[in-house]
Amino acid sequence: MNIKINNKIYEAKENETVLDVCKREGIRIPTLCGFEGLPREGVCRLCLVEMGGRLMTSCTAKVSEGLEVITENEKIEKARRINLELLWADHAGKCATCKKNQMCELQNLALEYKIENFHFIPRKGEITGAEELDLIKDNWSRVVVENENPCISRNSELCIECRRCINVCPEKKFGFNYRGNSVVVGTPYEKVLDCSFCGKCAEACPTGALTDQNDYVKIVDDLDNLEKFSVAVLDLGIEEKILKVIGKISPEKDLNKLLINLGFEKIVKLGKENLKIEFVKNIKDEYSRTKKINQQDIVIFFISSRIYEKAKKDKNLDYVLSEREVARLVRDKEKIKEGKIKM
Amino acid sequence: MKDIKIITEHWGKINPLKIEEYINFGGYGALEKFVLKMNPEKAIEEIQKSGLCGRGGAGFPTGDKLEMVAKNTSETKYFICNLEESEPGTYKDRLIVDNNPHILLEGIIISALSIGAKKAFIYINGNYEKQKEILEKALAQSREKKYWGENILGSAFRLEIEIYSGAGAYICGEETALINSVEGNRGEPKLRPPFPTEVGLFGSPTVVDNAETIANIPWIILNGGKKYSAIGSKNSPGTKIFLLNGAVEKPGTYEAPTGITVKKLIDEYAGGIKKGKEFWFAQIGGACGKLLLEKELKVKMEFGKECECPLGSGSILVVDKSVNIHDLLISWTDFFRRESCGKCVPCREGTFRLWEIAKRFRDGKISDRDKKAIEDILWTLDNTTFCPLGKFAGTAFRDAIAKNILTF
Repeated sequence: MNIKINNKIYEAKENETVLDVCKREGIRIPTLCGFEGLPREGVCRLCLVEMGGRLMTSCTAKVSEGLEVITENEKIEKARRINLELLWADHAGKCATCKKNQMCELQNLALEYKIENFHFIPRKGEITGAEELDLIKDNWSRVVVENENPCISRNSELCIECRRCINVCPEKKFGFNYRGNSVVVGTPYEKVLDCSFCGKCAEACPTGALTDQNDYVKIVDDLDNLEKFSVAVLDLGIEEKILKVIGKISPEKDLNKLLINLGFEKIVKLGKENLKIEFVKNIKDEYSRTKKINQQDIVIFFISSRIYEKAKKDKNLDYVLSEREVARLVRDKEKIKEGKIKM
Repeated sequence: MKDIKIITEHWGKINPLKIEEYINFGGYGALEKFVLKMNPEKAIEEIQKSGLCGRGGAGFPTGDKLEMVAKNTSETKYFICNLEESEPGTYKDRLIVDNNPHILLEGIIISALSIGAKKAFIYINGNYEKQKEILEKALAQSREKKYWGENILGSAFRLEIEIYSGAGAYICGEETALINSVEGNRGEPKLRPPFPTEVGLFGSPTVVDNAETIANIPWIILNGGKKYSAIGSKNSPGTKIFLLNGAVEKPGTYEAPTGITVKKLIDEYAGGIKKGKEFWFAQIGGACGKLLLEKELKVKMEFGKECECPLGSGSILVVDKSVNIHDLLISWTDFFRRESCGKCVPCREGTFRLWEIAKRFRDGKISDRDKKAIEDILWTLDNTTFCPLGKFAGTAFRDAIAKNILTF
């Protein structure tokens, strides 16, 4: 069937949504709640388009013969901006120190839509005394910051309730708690997250609400320490993933160069024949024999999407880094190198 | 016309806990007529002829809704009575159960059988504990009399009725959220289409009707749709329970034909404005209702797309000039902030910011920035929310500013 988008005719298939067609044809529509392969919920209200004079979410609107869609006009821009600003007003954004800085979808959208006024947030002096206490109670009492599980760091202050993690989790560990503005995405009865730690939620999260748990300072120290021999063990297929994440912050395409820049002395790739973790365990022995380095001074960084390896606390794997953590290291290195941050 | 009573006919005359007293008044006569002399098609035809439309606020034609599901060939179908009323100032369904639960049950049984449902639910507000007890007793009595269960009145009809208690969430009055709640999910609206009449409870076609709508059904079956359609306004015939609250002489519930003006309701039914008080404005239909100034009181109370003022749940709050508008504003916005389910961005964040601004209004700390913020939030609530709750959350606020009730 044919549909009209911005007065141009495009071909569409049965059961497709307007967003599907736009994505295929390269027409830019911002989305936050939508994520590859997940059910379309239509909750972020950013992918609004105009159909028949009404604003509709393109992610849920099915195509039909002769449909006319406008994706860009003043009204749509206004709606997207207001909804983005409302999200920002509730987002405790301390962007500079956020793990997801420059890789955050909310931040990127705010840049795209030039959000600079925060006229929804009360200013100093506008709320006082008991009222302020009320507000604190109402607004922040239900913030969940949980770092007790071994793999996923959760901070609901940064959460924008897009529901990606709820939908992506194969074990259905997350859900909505409370209602209205007090809504918190969390586990039942706010228990510590206990799952198989596949890491899909951290991959799907558009902001810094769900991130990888790690000891960042120690990792950077070990990488920078000249006495330590840092070995990066790349899991099968991780290269593409890393480059995909890094693509947002650095034009560099040579992964080896990037890793050596980060301070890795040696890069080992797991192939199809030596996929097993057991192979990694031999690395320490091998290097201490051939390179005459103390076993304690060899640091193994297992770079993999399999973040559940962290939970196993294997002595031979000093650190398990996901592609997102590598991207974070690259991001910070770039900043220091360019002199954006003076040491 | 003032004497026409359909729903409140038996109020005060019968003991609601005794089925015999209702039967003595001709109760369950409509069910007998339906089972013995009619068939489902004929019953739906009568309801369509009557022009009865949903009393929950939306005003969708009830007969059409029943027909849609009746025509569906699906094996399992459900009928749900929506008794989740939590609109501030609205308590009509509660009073129906308090005074005559059997008229409701009779309506539920007829409607459920007419669409071919084998199971009906009564979704009751979690706070209505006493009403739940009354309904449970009424259900036990009517089952004993074979009005529901296997072989109703000796016929081949069968129906199970179950009471499902919600947790007192306003959003669960919205039919898709209600269905979510009965299914055991979080009470939040689902995407429409598909509409519940196609894919409803547990994926089966479902009719969700307001309790007051259902209470009209027995009268229509007994007296015919034509007679019903002659009552009240042309577009939405019948009677409606109006709840008059606030600064009137005799606050309370009054059954009146639709199409009546607000002025008439206040003056003739509720005894006029309370002595010593000065009328300011009236709010029609609960916290999400429009505001009417004195000169606008001549609007007719009816449902439908062309109506001047949406009737909503039928509650009329009369506000006099001694009321502090800022307190009222906080109460409206606080209600929607609490009752928003939190699913979509404009409603979750917007209702909360409106509440904050309402408090700044009270403290006299309103700034030019807030004016812009109010404008933006009301606009996005009106245009971009997922379900009607968000759309209506700003109605009163918008009206208060537009009609100069609230001034900066």
